[in-house]
Amino acid sequence: MVEIILIVLFFALLLLGVPVAFCIGLATAASLLMSVDLVPAIVTMAQRMVSGINSFALLAVPLFILSGVIMGQGGIARRLIDFAKCLVGMVPGGLAFVNVLSCTLFGSISGSAVAAASAVGGFMIPEMEKDGYDRDFSAAVTATSATTGLLIPPSNILIVYAVASGGVSIGALFIAGYLPGLLVALSLMLVCGMHARRHNLPAAGVVSFRQLVSSTARALPSLFLIVLVIGGIIGGVFTATEAGAIAVVYSLVLAWGVYGEIHFQQLYDVFLKAAETTAIVIFLVATSVAMSWLLAFHNIPTVVAEFLLQFSDNPIVVLLIINIILLIVGSFMDMTPAVLIFTPIFLPVALALDMSALHFGIMMVLNLSIGLCTPPVGSVLFVSCSVAKSSITGIIRPILPMYAAMIVALLLVTYVPAISEWLPRSFDLIQ
Amino acid sequence: MLKQLISAVDECFKAFLALLIATMVLCVCWQIVSRYFFNDPSQWTEELARFLLVWIGMLGASYAYHKKMHLGLDLLQQKLSLRQQVWHARFVHLIVILFSAVVLVGGGSQLISMTRELEQYSAALGVSMHWVYMCLPVSGIMLIGYAILDWVAGSQLAESEGAQHG
Repeated sequence: MVEIILIVLFFALLLLGVPVAFCIGLATAASLLMSVDLVPAIVTMAQRMVSGINSFALLAVPLFILSGVIMGQGGIARRLIDFAKCLVGMVPGGLAFVNVLSCTLFGSISGSAVAAASAVGGFMIPEMEKDGYDRDFSAAVTATSATTGLLIPPSNILIVYAVASGGVSIGALFIAGYLPGLLVALSLMLVCGMHARRHNLPAAGVVSFRQLVSSTARALPSLFLIVLVIGGIIGGVFTATEAGAIAVVYSLVLAWGVYGEIHFQQLYDVFLKAAETTAIVIFLVATSVAMSWLLAFHNIPTVVAEFLLQFSDNPIVVLLIINIILLIVGSFMDMTPAVLIFTPIFLPVALALDMSALHFGIMMVLNLSIGLCTPPVGSVLFVSCSVAKSSITGIIRPILPMYAAMIVALLLVTYVPAISEWLPRSFDLIQ
Repeated sequence: MLKQLISAVDECFKAFLALLIATMVLCVCWQIVSRYFFNDPSQWTEELARFLLVWIGMLGASYAYHKKMHLGLDLLQQKLSLRQQVWHARFVHLIVILFSAVVLVGGGSQLISMTRELEQYSAALGVSMHWVYMCLPVSGIMLIGYAILDWVAGSQLAESEGAQHG
């Protein structure tokens, strides 16, 4: 009964256009009132919301958001695009490859798929159109490849998963994300390559050695952020939260001191923008944690696990069902609440099937990142469309083969644990 | 008059949020410095940073609501006429006011009085936990305030649009 009220109320409010965080909060409060008296219900809800966000691990989220905003202020997109052109521009359909690689690099450094789509797409889509690429195709490339940065560290959603799973190491998750992220990028490049052959698209031209050296030199300081953060975490020099603070300091030094792209007056806007973005994410975390607690209170995870495992004890079938459910969830729901609400429900099932929590997390984030570029709710898709000035209906046809490529990558990541686990194991981050 | 009031509140709020996040960064930085250079990791900065995160999350949520930055589905809104959109916005405001009044203000203030009775103090800073929970009713009141202000502003806009077309 409680679960029916929860689901019906959540979807009703969502479809009516109430902001997601309030849909989650109100649905949770209403279902809690069904089984508990008014005062204990609202006190518990209020307390769960605060205790859910009162976490040292979550502190890494605003710090990486802030360093992402600082890094994204200046001409970093331009520098990464020039660098990517040197690496992959010379093949037929070169600009499409450049778009994928720049989105991946920018998404990784800024930690935001939406920022990657708008910053890289803003440069690349007009440039691709000039070279004879279809605009809808360019928007589709931008939308899908912008999500790869969610797997490639530093990644806020992996931090949220670490919190939701209750104990997977953030460092191990960060390292585990590399190969799956690159796998998605490569499979998208494959689609671009086939598209380029069919439409006979030009190469972006070969760069001279001098250009290669100069564009690499200009991109290196930005890329070094990744080395600093990830190196520090793997080496056990600092925790993920501390790495976030180091990233903020490094990007401030870079943007202010080296590139001179941020002035002192702009710092206020930068901090404010980071605070706004943080608040949106953290408030979602607060209400989602409360909902997740309510589900556990009503034993929903156990019921779901029993149901799924009764249905089949074949890991291949069960993981397929979980993936299909998550794909549907992801197309309606933003990533943060989806991770916080569905991790406690599906993780026990995965563990019962001998899947590691690390592997499950990577699979879940890859799965939900597909949802970011599918309608009806797909923030990255919407941003890419608006940057390209194209429509959702126009983008659907060229994006279909890219969904297929991402789903193939998802299946590989789901059924080949080594893709997620080999790298962290090589660094002795997991057993 | 109303516009001036809203923008004055906004400016104070923005400055406060920026200050909170800047302090939070300094806290974590100080923690690293104290761990590496003084070999004595500071406990209170860790706790303060967490409490600041809670405050940023709750308070910022009300500001983000005013700025219409929260994620949501706008399928329905796109299909509505201008007149219907005003009513739709009012409906969303009502839902937000309901949640804020019951859970954030009601639940939050109950929680505060319980914490004060039980005399719960934080581990490192030794402050009463009700100062942390205080963000709930404050955020709730801000949300209700913003929802009412935006409601009135939306009605005025609709009237002036109506006057232009009429």
